[in-house]
Amino acid sequence: MPVFRWGHYWNALHDIEREVDRLLQSVNLTFQTFRMGRQYPPINLYELEDEYLLTAELPGVTLENLELTVAGGVLTLKGKRNELEAIPEERFRRQERPQGAWQRSLTLPERVNEDELTAEFTNGVLKVHLPKAPEARARHIPVVEGEG
Amino acid sequence: MTNELSKRQEAEVEAGREPGQPLERYVFTPPIDIFETEDGLVLRADLPGVSVETLDLQVEDNKLTLFGRVKPEAPEGARLLHQEYAVGDYFRSFILSDDVDHERITAKLTNGVLEVFLPKAAKPEPRRIQVKSE
Repeated sequence: MPVFRWGHYWNALHDIEREVDRLLQSVNLTFQTFRMGRQYPPINLYELEDEYLLTAELPGVTLENLELTVAGGVLTLKGKRNELEAIPEERFRRQERPQGAWQRSLTLPERVNEDELTAEFTNGVLKVHLPKAPEARARHIPVVEGEG
Repeated sequence: MTNELSKRQEAEVEAGREPGQPLERYVFTPPIDIFETEDGLVLRADLPGVSVETLDLQVEDNKLTLFGRVKPEAPEGARLLHQEYAVGDYFRSFILSDDVDHERITAKLTNGVLEVFLPKAAKPEPRRIQVKSE
């Protein structure tokens, strides 16, 4: 009976990847740096005219496994990566993707209207819209002449 | 003014860019998992921000190539206050062995995760070779 050597060809795959990785290394530094033990998930924060926009990369998370809460100026993101089936460790040829449950709390920028937070989740990217409270916008303060 | 503009565009074209595209453009190697099943291999790649429309998956000869484009995540004019990841495209390629049935490769994309199924090719039956005597 022939022994089916399924898998040993994938060594060839390593080689080309190393080649490609090397070619891309110069532009890949940012990503590598963040992968070295930064918090999960990675987030970006933008400021727009009347809102802040918080984005997070969460590939493999489903809506059912994603929970957002806000209280006292702290936004908490919580969830787990979708693991539909338990795959035995020995079946893995390669494992690079982060797995498991995660949680992260963020202090919101000042003067965000907590009650009007909205969020959307598309293609594994979470976007949280944080509307600025009216008092965060520049306000004209009238000065009156004091008495005496 | 017009001259300056066209000069800039020329410079961009020379640098291999379409005019008007952002100057900074990253290409990342996405993290992957590969595991074996009864029927073949499953490859999963994290491609947050990539949609079916912006994903290009190709098998050419014995090479599997994935390229995913990502659109800017914030509207124009947004000011970046804090950054922990950069937005860019994804590229990775693999050499497929003959053990994979190239014709039956399937793929799906869910919540920013690409899953490619690489089925085992059917093993040809052992064949006895008749040896004739002269």
